[in-house]
Amino acid sequence: MTAPALSVTDLRVSSPFTELLHGISFDIAAGERVGLIGESGSGKSLAATSVMGLLPDTLTATGSVRLGGVDANLLTAGERRLNQVRGNTMAMVFQEPMTALNPLMRVGAQIAEIMTVHRTQPSRRQAQDRAALLLAQVKLPDPAQAALAFPHQLSGGQRQRVLLAMAMANDPQLLLCDEPTTALDVTVQAEVLGLIGGLVADRGSSLLLITHDIAVVAQVCQRVLVMHRGTIVEEGLVGQVLAAPQHPYTKNLIAAADLSAVDDRGRLRTPTSAPRTRIAPSRTGPSRIEADAAPPVIQPPRRAAHQRLEPGGPPIIFNEVVGEPAISVRNLSRQYRRNGGRLLAPKQIVHGLRDLSFDVAEGQRLGIVGESGSGKSTLMRILCALDQPSSGTVDVLGQPLGGTSERQLREFRRQVQMVFQDPMGSLDPRMKVRDIVAEPLQHVGRAEILARVQAQLAAVGLDADVMDRHPHQFSGGQRQRISIARALITRPRVLVADEAVSALDVSVRAQVLNLLAELVDQYRLTLVFVSHDLGVVRHLCDTVAVISDGRIVECGPTGDVYDRPLHPYTRKLISATPSMPDLVRRSAT
Amino acid sequence: MVLVILRRIGIFATTGIVASIVTFLLLAILPGNAARIALGVQATEADVAAQATAIGLDRPAVVRYLDWIGHVLVGDFGTSAVSRQPIGPDIADALGITVILVLASVVLALLFAIPFGILTAIRQRGPDGAIFSSISQIGVAVPGFLAGLLLVTVFAVTLRWLPAGGWVDPADDFSGFIEHLILPAIALGSVQGAVLSRYVRSAVLDVMRDDFMRTARAKGLGTARALFRHGLRNAAVPVMTVLGLQIATLLIGAVVIERVFSIPGLGSLLLDKVALRDLPAVQGIVLVLVVFVLVLNFLVDLAFTVIDPRLRSES
Repeated sequence: MTAPALSVTDLRVSSPFTELLHGISFDIAAGERVGLIGESGSGKSLAATSVMGLLPDTLTATGSVRLGGVDANLLTAGERRLNQVRGNTMAMVFQEPMTALNPLMRVGAQIAEIMTVHRTQPSRRQAQDRAALLLAQVKLPDPAQAALAFPHQLSGGQRQRVLLAMAMANDPQLLLCDEPTTALDVTVQAEVLGLIGGLVADRGSSLLLITHDIAVVAQVCQRVLVMHRGTIVEEGLVGQVLAAPQHPYTKNLIAAADLSAVDDRGRLRTPTSAPRTRIAPSRTGPSRIEADAAPPVIQPPRRAAHQRLEPGGPPIIFNEVVGEPAISVRNLSRQYRRNGGRLLAPKQIVHGLRDLSFDVAEGQRLGIVGESGSGKSTLMRILCALDQPSSGTVDVLGQPLGGTSERQLREFRRQVQMVFQDPMGSLDPRMKVRDIVAEPLQHVGRAEILARVQAQLAAVGLDADVMDRHPHQFSGGQRQRISIARALITRPRVLVADEAVSALDVSVRAQVLNLLAELVDQYRLTLVFVSHDLGVVRHLCDTVAVISDGRIVECGPTGDVYDRPLHPYTRKLISATPSMPDLVRRSAT
Repeated sequence: MVLVILRRIGIFATTGIVASIVTFLLLAILPGNAARIALGVQATEADVAAQATAIGLDRPAVVRYLDWIGHVLVGDFGTSAVSRQPIGPDIADALGITVILVLASVVLALLFAIPFGILTAIRQRGPDGAIFSSISQIGVAVPGFLAGLLLVTVFAVTLRWLPAGGWVDPADDFSGFIEHLILPAIALGSVQGAVLSRYVRSAVLDVMRDDFMRTARAKGLGTARALFRHGLRNAAVPVMTVLGLQIATLLIGAVVIERVFSIPGLGSLLLDKVALRDLPAVQGIVLVLVVFVLVLNFLVDLAFTVIDPRLRSES
């Protein structure tokens, strides 16, 4: 057997206060593709940055990192030696394509630089030529022109292709990728993953792919390492680990990621350590509130018609409800004006939403799925009266929106509440949890506020003693629970969630999804759930609308849309996100 | 690119017009009458009224403004209310001196701030970094006129290396000109340099944390090379913003420093004319100072578009 491309032995990383990586060891054979999965904080990125010798100054690494053909322990090698190896024998692609390129330099020159630095091309001219060739290999249209572009002129997916071209420029033995597709749309993600696999295979390079997403590993890698709290808890062939995980943590991780496996109540399996969220109506609080909020009339669950938008066909009213829908949108358009190219040129009109019509029935759970720029966030903002339609009508709970004053919207604001994506940024860091949760309440006495906040926190599975703490003292999942408590305290009838679980680790995601499902049932909410993640929508929603380029292209009962998609865009989206059973089947063969 | 520059020129012209109106109005509403000042306190009301008619003070403000600005645009700043001499040549001479002084001090400030700021950023954690930081902290705290007096005491009075004040025209005696320029330029530039070095330091620290610097190191560039090839140009963007803002402060400083070193620049001229209550001259000088700031800011804006391609895009 030949020497491994990468050999890591007893790698330990410590901060001045504590040890973060507890002695991990693994080898990667020449040409082998290995995935490293784990949740945030598990130390997987630390492992890769240690290999590259790019740890922050405050952290120290011990152990040994050896690269095939380099007779030095990279952890103790000098900076000069590392500079010869980095970018040449091993290269790395980082997570954030938006910020990983120098904004002031043409991308072609940035790619050429990695060749001139290592003198792998005889001249700058030839390095530039090869840069264009590399851009063609990562399938950028018009590579010669793309080489002259500045980073801000490229999309996220295009920038990640540029970074990939850069990393592969010197045909490295080892390519490290740290969450290379996490920031990208699902269809772009599939393309970039395909490229990574292809480029590595062509050059015979080895790959270490770091991700939190088991699906990504299953698509690209042969072997997988599972990291948990700074140690590798399991390793094996991808098919084996997915189909028959051995370690309890791996079992939990895979179970939580699998949104198709539910118990008899339709709830996801969550890590055993976390207590199941119980919604115990406490002694006095909720029952009394229940009494003064009129229980909404719930219609029996209805099945939406399964329809698609025909090219050039007439506009369709999707999911049309007979009687009184909770939300009714007709011919909604939203345009933005952008400064034209020339000084006196007319402003360009950018279409955010084009002629949208749909209903949401009371008690329905509508998922809105789309990629970035599709208009889904604009739609959400309009439904919450945070933005105005350019034309068309929007009625929510009988209240027409658009041109309405904030005073007229007071009751609307009580009945329609939101949960946002970023559990970090959407809570005021200087407010206590009790004040955050109580803020939407108006004209309510102090004692009642306290009782309701307590009851609401209990309902989202948080103890009453969290009330006097500040948001930074909580994890992402806990913060999202606080956001949900804040949204539900006014006893709304409609809950709008924008990517509410996208920033969470899979095990936490499962808990929050279960909580949302419980609460929607208990409070009889009408739910509009906006997400880029098809799996999450399939699990949580009974009806799904697929939105692309400002239009709904397909809408129907979730199962029908996923199993028998009518529109080509929906098909593309669904094929880009294989379900867990698909992955197991695929990687086993 | 061309359109971006045209737009900037448009903004520059508009600001200039507004500034001239404001200058004119400020001096028009100030108490004190140019006609009475010209004639002295002994003059009778009738004499003052006649004088007002003679110098056109009885016309409406709009007409007077247009008359004034029309002449200014062709370089005619009118005549002094006190000396009856044209103001233009005086302003031109003084402006030349102030421009040299301000530019010299900006160059000195940058020569100090850029290396010093980078050094304190790189040596952030070391003891030398702390020492450098405290030096620049002291520089920030010392006012320019005090620095000027200290410099004069040490280098002019005690060591007798350089003259204590005055001005020599470079055309007459170039080495004398340089000798006379050194101390005031240092006095004026040191404070700006100290302030700027703080901004250079924080800009470099920020840029060293940027993702693209990590990319550069992952490509195999050493820390220093990554900083010089990728970091500094990016760090220049926020530093230039501060530089633009500092220019106005620098001119105020120049007024004081010119006094300390007896330099016949715009600042000295302004103070002289204010003391004489020579309103037409004051009005002209203030306008020139304002336009000077605008021109420098305009140049900073242009430099931005050269450095940062994101500002060049025309959409």
